[in-house]
Amino acid sequence: MRIIGVYNIKGGVGKTATAVNLAFLSAQEGHRTLIWDLDPQAAATFYLRVKPKIKGGSRKMFRGKRELDGLIKGTDFENLDLLPAEFSYRNMDLMLSERKKPARQLLRLLRPLSEQFDNVILDCPPNISLVSENIFRAADALLIPTIPGTLSIRAYHQLLDYLRENKVRGVDLMPFFSMVDRDKHLQAEVMQDMTASNPEMLSARIPYDGDVEKMGIHRAPVGEFAPQTNAWEAYRALWAEVKKRLK
Amino acid sequence: MSTNAPEFRLSGAHALAGIESALKSEFRLEEESETRFDHVYYDSFDWRLYRAGAYLRREFEKDRQHLIMSGLGDDSPKESVAFTGDMPRFYWDFPESGLKENISDILDIRALLPLFELRGVSRSFRMLDDARKTVLRVQLKQGSTYDAQGRMGTHVDGIVRLVPVRGYEKFLRKVSRFLTAEMELVAVTGSLFDELLASIGKVPSDYSSKLDFWFTPDMYSEAVARHIHLHLLDTIESNIPGTRDDLDSEFLHDLRVAVRRTRSALTQIKGVFPEDVVERFKPRLGWLGQITGPTRDMHVYLLAFDEYRDSLPERYRRDLDPLHRFLLVHQRTEHEKMVKQMESEEFLQTLADWRSYLVSPDPGASALPNTRSAVSETAGKRIYKIYSRVLDEGLAITDESPPESLHELRKNCKKLRYLIEFYRSIYPEKDVKPAIRALKILLDNLGLFQDLEVQALKLQEFAHQMGKEGEVPPDTLLAMGMLVDGLMKRQHQARHRFGQRFALFADKENRDHFKRMFSQGKVKQAA
Repeated sequence: MRIIGVYNIKGGVGKTATAVNLAFLSAQEGHRTLIWDLDPQAAATFYLRVKPKIKGGSRKMFRGKRELDGLIKGTDFENLDLLPAEFSYRNMDLMLSERKKPARQLLRLLRPLSEQFDNVILDCPPNISLVSENIFRAADALLIPTIPGTLSIRAYHQLLDYLRENKVRGVDLMPFFSMVDRDKHLQAEVMQDMTASNPEMLSARIPYDGDVEKMGIHRAPVGEFAPQTNAWEAYRALWAEVKKRLK
Repeated sequence: MSTNAPEFRLSGAHALAGIESALKSEFRLEEESETRFDHVYYDSFDWRLYRAGAYLRREFEKDRQHLIMSGLGDDSPKESVAFTGDMPRFYWDFPESGLKENISDILDIRALLPLFELRGVSRSFRMLDDARKTVLRVQLKQGSTYDAQGRMGTHVDGIVRLVPVRGYEKFLRKVSRFLTAEMELVAVTGSLFDELLASIGKVPSDYSSKLDFWFTPDMYSEAVARHIHLHLLDTIESNIPGTRDDLDSEFLHDLRVAVRRTRSALTQIKGVFPEDVVERFKPRLGWLGQITGPTRDMHVYLLAFDEYRDSLPERYRRDLDPLHRFLLVHQRTEHEKMVKQMESEEFLQTLADWRSYLVSPDPGASALPNTRSAVSETAGKRIYKIYSRVLDEGLAITDESPPESLHELRKNCKKLRYLIEFYRSIYPEKDVKPAIRALKILLDNLGLFQDLEVQALKLQEFAHQMGKEGEVPPDTLLAMGMLVDGLMKRQHQARHRFGQRFALFADKENRDHFKRMFSQGKVKQAA
C-alpha cells in the first residue's frame, strides 16, 4: 500500500482536483484505490457524490472505537473508494492531541487497510498543524500543487524549513505547478527560476482550465466527463510522472 | 473488501425482460453498458483445478484477453492475468503473475484443455439515489453454452446479479428483498460452473489415474478381477485420444501405467482366468507396452532436460543444446511411429478382444479353483506370497550382489504394490496406509537405482546415435559424458542407501504388520 498526500500550506491551489483526478486514474488502471478526504470542507466528498458524514462521528474514529473499514464508501467508479470528511474535522487537531503519539495517528488508522488497497490518496487541509504533521509522517510521497507566484515559492520554503526542523524524513517531495496560465509572463519566469533551484519539481503542469472547474457541476473526475481535453491530458502526464518517481 | 454479490437465475425466454421492466418501475436505474461476453472454461484432463476447488476461464474483451481463476464454492474471482496471443497450454506459458505461481502447483505438467464456452450478452445498470449517486449495480446476463466441439449445450435464459457498492449495502438488501418477495426469485448459492458443466453433459472428476475401488471382502474373486481389468481398460482407452494428439505427456504415461497394471493383474491374480486365456493375452498386452516405450523415453528425457542442464556448471550448459534438439526430433518421429501402431488393426483388435472377453461370461472359468472364492481369501494369500518372496530376495542381497538382483527385487516389489492397491478397499484404510508407505520408501530407492542406470546407458546410446546422424560437437559429447558421470554417482549413492532402506522395510514391526494383515486376513468387517 502506497500513501500519497496532496498538500499545500496555502489553500485554493487545486489540491482536491488533483487528489480526485489522480485517484480516478489509479483506479482506472486497476489499482484498488482509497481517497481519504481530510479537509473539513469536504470538497472531494462532494465531487464523488458521497454524503459528508461519518457514522458515529469522527471523535470515535480517532479514539479507535470505530475501524476505518466500516466507514469507507464505494464511489461511482470501480476500484475507487472514499473515506468521507465531515465538518467536525475542523477539530481534528484537538482530537489528535488527545491521543498518545499524536503525530502518528493517521498511520495507525491506515495500517489495517494495507491488504485492501494498493494506493491511498490523502486530500489534506491547508495550514501546518498536527493534522499535516500526521500526513507528513504517514505519506510515502507528498504532492504539492504550486501556483507559479512569489507567495507560493515562499510557502514551499516554509514547508521545507518545517520538515527539516521537525526531522521529518522518508517522504518524497513532489512539487508541481498547478493552475498555470499560459498568458501570464510573470508565471513563466517564476516557473523557470523555481525549476532551476528545485530539481525535485515535477515537469507535468496542470493548466488553469474551465474543465477542472466543471468538476463541481458534474460531480465527477475530469476524465469521466471530458476525457479528450488538455486538462485531462495534464493529469495523465502528472500521474505517469508520479508513478515513475514512486518506483 | 467486497460483499458477496447475490445472483438469481431465471428460466423462460422472456423472463429477463420482465425483470428488467419490474426493476425499472420500482427503482431508479440507468443503463451503463451492454457488452457481449465470451468465456471459455478450462481444466486439465484429470480435473486438477476442480479438485483444487477452482476453475479457470478465459475472457475476451475487445483486443485483450484475461485468464481468471475463481473459487468453485461462490464463483468469486481469486486471481487474474491479462495476456495476448495464443491461450497458454501449460503453466510455463503463462505471463509472470500470481496466477502463474498458483496454477503451477496445481497443474504441474498437465495441459489445460477447453471444457466449454459460454457466450452471451451482459447489460449493466446503475441504481441511483436522490443525489444521483450510484448505490448498487445490477447486471442482467443471458447466453448459451457450447461444448469443446462447438455444439450448443443449453440456453442460460437469465442471470440477475446484484453488485453492492461499499457503504450502501442497504440498497442491496432492498433490491434483494424486492426480487425474492415480489418477483418470487430465489438467490442461488451453488456455483454456476457446476450447472454449466452439467448442461453440456460433463461430469467433474470423471477421470483419475488413481485406483479407487470399492470392493467388499465377500465378493467373488473372479468378479473383482474382471472389475479391476475393466477399469484399467477404460483408463487405457480414455487416454488414447490425448496420447495420439500429444496434448501432454501424462496421457501416454497414464496409458502405460494402466497397461503395466493390467499385465501384472493378469499374471498375479491366479486361478480366475483359464491358463490359455492368460497365455493368449499376455504377449498381446505386452506389445502395447513395447510400442509406447520409445516415445515415453523421449518424454522422460525432455521432462528431465532442465534438471540435466542445471546439474552442469554454468559454462557447459549450452553445450547440451544439440542433445535437446536431438530429443525433440526423435520425440516427434517416435510419436509418429507410435500413432501408426495405435491406429493399426492389431492394436484396435487387442483392446476389442480383451474387452469382449472381460464382459462375457467364461464357462471355462467355473472349473478354476478361485473364481467362486471370496476375494478376502485369495487376495491376502497372493499378497503374502509375493511379500515373502520380496523378503527372501532382499535379505539375500549383499554389498557384492550384482545390479540385476536389485532390478529383480524391484519387479517383485511392484507386483506387490499393484496387488495391495487393487485390493486396498477390502482392508481397513488405517492398516493399508502404513504397508504402502513402507513399500513405497523401498520402491523409491530401487526405482532411483534402476532409472539412473537406464538413463546413463541411454545417454551413451544417444551419443552414438547422434554421431551416426551427423556431426556432433566434441563439447556436446563431453557435456553428455559429465551427465553420465553425475548419474552414475547418484546411482552409486542409491545403491549405498539400499541396505538401510531394506532393513527398515524388513524390520520386525513391518513384518508383523504384513503378517497380521495378509496372512491372518485382517479384512474389513461387514457393516
